[in-house]
Amino acid sequence: MSPALSRRDLLRLASAAAAVPLLNACAGAPPAPSAEPGTFTVYWNAGHDYQAYRKVIAEFEQAHQVKVNFQKYQWPDLRTRLLADFASGSVPDVVEEPGGWVQDFAISGNALSLQEYVDRDGRAMGFPSDWRPVTVERNSYQGQVYGVQLHLTCTLLLYNKGMLDAAGVEPPTTWEELLEAAGKLTKGDVYGIALNQDHGYAGPWLMQNGVRYYDPATKGVLVPHDAAVEAMRFQAELVHKHKVAPVPVSGTDYSGPQKLFSAKRAAMIITGPWDLGPIKQTSPDIEVGYAAPLKGREQATNAAGTSVFVPAKARRPDLSWDFVKRITALEVERAATKEVGMLMPRLSWAELPEVQADPGIKAFADALGMARDASQEIRLTGQFGRFDDELKKMYQSVLIQNEPAAAAVEKFAEAARGYLK
Amino acid sequence: MSVLRPRTLSARYARTAYLFLLPAILFFAAFFYLPIGNVVSTSLMTGPSADRFAGLGNYTQALADPAVRHSFLVTGGFALIVVAGSIVLGLGLAMALDQPLRGRVAFRVMLLVPYLTSVAIVGLLWRNILDPELGVLNRTLAALGLPEQQWLNTSPLLTIAAVTLWQSVGYTMVLFLAGLQGIPETFHEAAKIDGADAWHRFWRITLPLLAPTTLFVSVMAVISGLQAFGQAYIITNGGPGDATDLSVFHIFNVAFRARDFGYASAQSVLLLIVIVAFTLVQLRAGRRGEVQY
Repeated sequence: MSPALSRRDLLRLASAAAAVPLLNACAGAPPAPSAEPGTFTVYWNAGHDYQAYRKVIAEFEQAHQVKVNFQKYQWPDLRTRLLADFASGSVPDVVEEPGGWVQDFAISGNALSLQEYVDRDGRAMGFPSDWRPVTVERNSYQGQVYGVQLHLTCTLLLYNKGMLDAAGVEPPTTWEELLEAAGKLTKGDVYGIALNQDHGYAGPWLMQNGVRYYDPATKGVLVPHDAAVEAMRFQAELVHKHKVAPVPVSGTDYSGPQKLFSAKRAAMIITGPWDLGPIKQTSPDIEVGYAAPLKGREQATNAAGTSVFVPAKARRPDLSWDFVKRITALEVERAATKEVGMLMPRLSWAELPEVQADPGIKAFADALGMARDASQEIRLTGQFGRFDDELKKMYQSVLIQNEPAAAAVEKFAEAARGYLK
Repeated sequence: MSVLRPRTLSARYARTAYLFLLPAILFFAAFFYLPIGNVVSTSLMTGPSADRFAGLGNYTQALADPAVRHSFLVTGGFALIVVAGSIVLGLGLAMALDQPLRGRVAFRVMLLVPYLTSVAIVGLLWRNILDPELGVLNRTLAALGLPEQQWLNTSPLLTIAAVTLWQSVGYTMVLFLAGLQGIPETFHEAAKIDGADAWHRFWRITLPLLAPTTLFVSVMAVISGLQAFGQAYIITNGGPGDATDLSVFHIFNVAFRARDFGYASAQSVLLLIVIVAFTLVQLRAGRRGEVQY
């Protein structure tokens, strides 16, 4: 008997091997946006499925006699799905996006201008007067509004009050104080501070050192360079020189610092309101303190948070706009804040008693006044995807791999000169 | 006239055969050949909607792009580790479990289970195990008084290749096991009578007669290694820096983050050419090494 595999055997085995990934790929694929007249499709972030929004959906269904097909995704999957939809022409009616996509899709012609609706209904809904200016600006392109901000977040320094009290450390307000405090708090397997592997967290450090992501006049990135190098070097030295922060691990998950904070392995973290819930759930005994945004050359934090927009090929834009109006109403913002502590973009939201009474929410709400959108100028070039990818590489090479900050920033700038011609 | 000529037997057989093949041909045409054709035509276009003709511009750009070259090098290194590991570990495990051991069926099943598990689950599982601060592996090392490791920071490519091997080695083991069980015992007995020791029997009988299986395993491992995506996507997100920027992950980012579908398509075509070239070379080299006793 010959042990040799015949060509037929080889084909059988190859087919069986090929079938596994194919079947895996086919399993669980969500249905395409429905073209049924009674269905209204909404793409949403999986972490933002709040009861407050479910109530709005129920009311919307009742008012318009439609069934809302509420599809939830993680951000990368939502983007992949959406781009495939744009290519096929079968698009959802409303989309929640993580910040930055609205201008990107406005430039490419995939987002619908909402200006005519804003002109008609803006005054009644308080848009744009009741929205923080930064949120209107980041959702506009060439003088037209393409999206409406749903949440507005920023990052702050959160600290473990018990640990700081025990070490006799005051909450830091500047980079120098942060370094000193982190040094005093680092003992045994406890770190003074934990930094995030996600390059999005580099923004506040760069802004606090007066760095702009992009200067349209000179087409330079991370300007001035010396300030960018200094900001990157400061973060790397917290990890590698002073060893007051653990080496972050590259990945898709940005909850690493929160997990260390919850496990009482880190005394301070820089994060947004999204980590407050997990900290309360996993470590209710930790008394969390909130420091104002740190000051380097200036005091600053980043404006982040999601918006809603309508794809250009949406079949019923009037209906889509009505959904946008309902989901961004002040009462809905109030309900979502009460439910999960989410921060909102309306100026009147910041004055609500619920916001003023909660020390955590109030600290973030106060910081929103100095929040800036670092990436808006680069987004308007249409090259944000490349920029963001290169920023990730540069940030991680400095923070994780301890490459010299000056060389890494120069390499980043050199790459940008290629794609920003 | 030929149309009036009665059909021959072979022509009727051929027609029947083609009818049976038709569903498969349609399936492959719809889900493989048409998309491949679409990717090739998209690779000649540019712009966020890939609607402007660029000729071979995307190809020349890709060939000169250091990031593309880097991702191909990273992928080559990854595939090399996975291919070598699949063959060495798969064969070693198959030989161990080909012995009359108690519980060997249970061992075989245990080794095969990771292969049946989704790469996303395997990735998340190992990501948690390997976490330097809170992962169970470093906690265990610390408890044993051993130095803790930064697996995903110091050797990220090797680490994700090891995770891939952990997941796939059960499958290659099964293939080698089937190959081993197809080798007639008489060959080994004859060699023993001639005085050959275990090492010589392995080199002179087992390994040569396993050549077709080894060829199949290496071809499949090269293809899956060069097409690897989930490991970078789930475990490292391509980092730290670009240390695990595997080709398919790089192409995915060019397409879905930078929204350059034309450029991503050109890189996909280049990757396809590399995979086909490797496969042809392997098949040619493998056929030359086939042995019959």
